[in-house]
Order: sequence, then structure tokens, then C-alpha cells
Amino acid sequence: MSWLRIRELVRKEFILLFRDPRTRRVLITAPLVMLLLFGYVVNYDIKLIRVGLLDQSHTRESRMVVDAFSASKIFMITQILRDDRELEQSLLNAKVDMAIKIGPDLARKIRKGETAEIQIIADGTMSNMASIRIAYSVQIIDKINQDLLKELYPQRMDYGKIDGRIRTWYNSNLDSQHFFVPGIVAFVVMLITLLLTSIAVIKEKEMGTIEQLIVTPLKPTELILGKTIPYIIISLAQMVMVTIIAIFWFEIPLAGSIFLLFSATCLFLLSTLGVGLFISTVSKTQQQAMMTTFFFILPFFMLSGFVFPIVNMPVFVQWLTYLNPLRYMLIIIRGIFLKGVGIDVLWHQYAAMAILGVVVFTAAIRRFRKRLD
Amino acid sequence: MLNLRNIQAVTRKEFYHLIRDFRSLYLAFALPLLLILLFGYALSLDVDNVETVVVDYDNTDFSRDFIRHLDGSPYFHIAAHLPNTKAATDYLDEGRAILVIVIPVNWTRDIRSERVSPLQALLDGSDPSFANITRGYVNAFISQYNQKLLIQFLNRQGMEQIKPPVDGQIRVWFNEDLESRNFIVPGIIAVIIMIVGAMLTSLIIAREYENGTMETIKSLPLTAGEFLIGKAIPYFFVGLTDVLISILMGQVLFGVVMKSSFWLMIMASSIYLAVALALGLFISSVTKSQLLANQGAILLTYLPSLLLSNFVFPVINMPKVLQLVTYIVPATYFINILSGLYLRNLGLAHLWPSYLVMIVMFTVLAALNYVLLKREGL
Repeated sequence: MSWLRIRELVRKEFILLFRDPRTRRVLITAPLVMLLLFGYVVNYDIKLIRVGLLDQSHTRESRMVVDAFSASKIFMITQILRDDRELEQSLLNAKVDMAIKIGPDLARKIRKGETAEIQIIADGTMSNMASIRIAYSVQIIDKINQDLLKELYPQRMDYGKIDGRIRTWYNSNLDSQHFFVPGIVAFVVMLITLLLTSIAVIKEKEMGTIEQLIVTPLKPTELILGKTIPYIIISLAQMVMVTIIAIFWFEIPLAGSIFLLFSATCLFLLSTLGVGLFISTVSKTQQQAMMTTFFFILPFFMLSGFVFPIVNMPVFVQWLTYLNPLRYMLIIIRGIFLKGVGIDVLWHQYAAMAILGVVVFTAAIRRFRKRLD
Repeated sequence: MLNLRNIQAVTRKEFYHLIRDFRSLYLAFALPLLLILLFGYALSLDVDNVETVVVDYDNTDFSRDFIRHLDGSPYFHIAAHLPNTKAATDYLDEGRAILVIVIPVNWTRDIRSERVSPLQALLDGSDPSFANITRGYVNAFISQYNQKLLIQFLNRQGMEQIKPPVDGQIRVWFNEDLESRNFIVPGIIAVIIMIVGAMLTSLIIAREYENGTMETIKSLPLTAGEFLIGKAIPYFFVGLTDVLISILMGQVLFGVVMKSSFWLMIMASSIYLAVALALGLFISSVTKSQLLANQGAILLTYLPSLLLSNFVFPVINMPKVLQLVTYIVPATYFINILSGLYLRNLGLAHLWPSYLVMIVMFTVLAALNYVLLKREGL
């Protein structure tokens, strides 16, 4: 193996890549845009629930109910509705997230000691958001009940009750950015290496220059190294860039060790470069390579726990996720960033990623070599 | 003037290209299958059976009853009973549980002597959406339990048969069983169309430039309009087939049925597909390089239609600037139509503004494409 030959190939690869100033710009802006998009878009915090109110009772009791809702900062009564038709329209047009209907007999029933119904109609379109909204309104209803009971039975009301003290660990403000931004580091690295490595080889094929490379004294191993090293360098640089922005712009505390993060990225690269090389062996044109890349990236992304929790998946699919390098990488990155855990907790993930990486990479190299011979 | 025979010739050439490149075509059909299967079968944002571990230092009938109720609720699943807090926090560290409930000593005694008694809950907040929902569940569970305790207390005080004064009857509209799948499966059509429509077409003019065949095309008696329409037609049919596959699969495999009219759906999909194709062709003629076009298509079409369209990420939670951006993302309008047709059972009377916006978008993009190619000398 000659390092000189590898170095020259790497140099050629860099020249080709950077000759077009637009490619340079894309290599910098693509991760930036992704970082900003994911950093600001993926946010399930409930800050505001828009409520449409249909109060047919207009009594002191019904105002108590309404006040209980508007006293909480999250509920905001945005529409006062006059009849059922308006209620239906406001939900249909998505003007409100939830409608509350207080029937005309609310006060009468409460004063008689009966249970009065309050109808709460939630827009279920986004079911996860609807679940949170419903949970919030259940609490408000319980609070109304306690207030009303205290008023109806004004004696000593110090009854034994549970005070739920919920503490949140790792991401105590439940900040969505803290969860999603570190994951983008992994995603960007994957996207760039998968696509660029396969394209680098395919372009030689399309232009017919691959034959010229084969007749040069370049050995297959050198060719592979020369074709992958530039992208290792680029993706590591991107990883550093994204990490810096995550820490300084999004102010995400890096609780764990930066060295662990770096070594995890290197192990992760083994798998992604392997897949990239594999794609280059099965594709003839750039279009094919890009479509195939997408075919790999989508399931990698979806089945990694990046947005969709793995525990929610059917058991069979959960098993499949063990074949996904991004799954391990995300656990490691989030562990390092948020939990600050070390290798003692994460070594399973490192080991799994290393094994997966070595298997994928060697398989890809063997296939690649066969194609060259 | 558009000459139909010229369009036909370009279409035939592009069609042969598509057929010959068998795998791209096959992927264009396999992609929707994969996405629908993934989203319909595997991916869910709904939270139930939260993995919970309990540490019961009190260990009385009352505390055990509390835990039994917790496990009985569909929202929690007790994964383990652990002897101490340390063991439980290890579960949290290793990600084997999301929630730890710690019942302190003398908990029952405090409650029985009418005092407020703390219950400790530790929650893994790393996934904020999951944690938020779980926190809501825990709070709702405790407040309902307290209400039961209050009624019991009042009954003990000699006031028998006390009922809670109000009963919140919660109903869910449009997605009655609160399954994220019911919205995500139709919504994914917006992403599929963008991938197939814009990503595939983003390559086709760039390819002519890269191969140098653009010069040949310029010398032909072919107008820019004929060239664009001819190029787009094969992909229009590929995209429309994908839409049909998606509708069918959603219905057959996952029982996600359109509540409104099928033809409104086809109409909306066709307009949206036309927007996607125009966008793809535009990216293609601007970049003139397949790699750049592909990156551009990912950034300008795929990601926005996934992220900035109110599909799985609520627009209402975004910063104001991004909320404004969503207005120029075509998928926003298509997703709105999809939720209207699939879940809300709306007709053209409600949805026409979204149709109109997409038509305007298409017209603008088509004009841009035309002008751009004209300037190139076609």
C-alpha cells in the first residue's frame, strides 16, 4: 500500500469536490439548514390550547368553570360560541383545539347535589397533542370539583391527599431542542457520507474514468481509502461544526466527554461509509444512487428513535432497529449530551456499533473489489 | 405555441429513460410502499403503557392498591418493583424505564391522618414530547385519585352518597380513537409526492446539462413549454400511481378511510403533484448539476414538506419567522386538504382556498421555469 498514491487520490477528490463553489456552499449550508430546521421545528411543548366556549348556563357556577380554565396559563378562550352549529364549525375549520360546552342545567344540578356534565370536545387530528390537551383538561375538571365540593360542604376540608411531586431528569425543562439538536449531528454525518461516497464512485463510472483508475498502479484498497478519506474528513468537520453550533447557539450543555463523542462518530462512520460503498456497487447512474440512498436513509431515520419512540414500535420492528447504526449513535449522543453518562453505561452501544460497522464495511469492500476485478 | 407531436416526442424519450433505468422506476414505486408500511405499522407518536418502576417504602394495603390502580390504567405499565431508589434510578439511566414512582415511608399513615402526603415521581425528560404526555398522565392520575379520596373523606364525615359536582365528558372528534396513524398515513402522501415528483425531476434537466445533450436540445425546433411539459408527463403518471397505491394501502392495510370525496382527493393530488414537478424542474435548471439538484431538492422540497407543513410537527409551536415560512410551503396546503378530506369530512366549500393557493403556486413556478429556459436559449 502506498500512502503517496492514496494522498494523491484524496487530493484529486477534494479538487473535484471543491471546484464548484456551489458544492462548497452546499456542504456548509445543508447541515446548517437542517440544524436550524430541526432545532426550531420539532417542538411538542404545549404552550397554548385554543378553546371555544359554548356556555348555555350563564350562571355563577358556569363562570367558575370558565374561570378555572382561563386561570391556567395554557388554556385560552379564543372563541365564544353561540350554538352547536358554531361549535361544530370552529372545530371543523381548526379555529380551536378544543371546545367546551356547558349545558343549561349546570347550576341546577350542582345545587341539587347531582353531577352535571360538561362536554369537552377535542380535535383529535394530531393525536399526541390531543392526548396532552385532554390530560390537562382532566386536571382542570378535578380542580373545579374540589373547589365546588369545598364550597358545598364548607366545614374542615383537610383531607388526606396525595401531592404528586414530579421531577424531570436529564432535560429538566422538557426542552425539545435539547432532545433533537444533538441527534442532528448523527443525521448530518449519515446523510453526507452515504450520498457523497456513492456519488464519488458513480461519477467515475458515468464518465468512464473508472477504467483509467483501474489501469493505474492503484490497488483496490488504495482506491477505496482514497475515495472514503475525503468524506471522513468532511463529515468529521461537519460534526465539529454542528456540535459547536449546538453548544453555543442552542446552548445545549454537553454533560459528557467530547472525546467519547468523537470516537463514537468514527465508529458510526464505518457503517455509513460501508453503506455508501455498497450503494456505489449496485448503482449505475447518479439518479439510481440517489434514489437508493434515499431508500436507506428513510428507514434509518424513521426507525432510529430520532422522532418516533422505538418503544412504540411493534416488537418485530423493534428487533429490526438493532440493525440500524443510527439507533446506537443516537443513544450515545443523547447519553453524552443530556445524561452525561460515560463508557460504563454506553459500552453496549459502542460495541454494537463497532460490530455492525466492521461487518458492513468489510462486506462492502469485498463487493467493491469484486466489481473492480 | 405548443406542438403536441413535439411534446409526445420528449415524453417518449423521457419515458424510455425511465423504463431503461429500471431501478429508479422501481424505487419510485417501492418508496411509497415502504413509507406507508413504516408509518402505518411501525411509527406512532401516541404514548401508552409507559414503562414504570415503583419503589414502595411504605408497603401497606393502601400503597399496594395505589400501585395496582396505576398498573391497571392503560397509560402505565409497571415493569418492576424495586427495593430502593438507587436501583430505580439505574433503570432510568439505562433507559429501561421512563418513570419512577417512589412511595415514601409513612405515606399511608399521613394520608389516613388527613395530611398532605408527597409522592415522588422521577421522569426521564430526554424525549420532551414523551415526557410531557407522561407528566400529564401522572398529574391526571393523581388528581383523579385525590378526588376519590376527597369523596371518601366526605362520606366518612357522615355525608353519604356524595357525587362529584361536575363530570367532564371528553369526546374526541375527527380521530375518535386517537390513533396518530389515522392522520399520518394520509399525511405521508404529501411527502411521497414531493420525493417522487420533485426529487426525481430535479435530476432530469441537470442530467441533460451534465451529459452535454442540452446543446442538442437547444438546436431542435422545440419550445421551452413543449420541453417542460414533455419532461414532466412521465413523472406525473408515476406520481399519480403512487398516490393511488398510497390511498389503497392506507385503506386496505390500516383501515384509514377517506371520509370525503375521492375525486376531490385526486384533484388535490394532481395539483400538488404539478407543483412538485414544477419545483423539481426549476431546481434542475438552476443548478445544472445532479448532485447539487439532489441536495437542493432534499433541502427545498423533502424537508419542508416533512417539517414545515403541520404534518407531524405542529406549526403553532414554531417561532414566528418559521410560521411565516410555512405559508410558502406547498405541502402546508395539501396537508390541510388531506386532513379535511380524510378526517374532517369537508368539501370544496371549506377547502377551496387551499386549492386556489396551490394553483397559484403552480402558475408562478411554471412561469419561472419557462422564463429560465427561454433565457438559456431554448
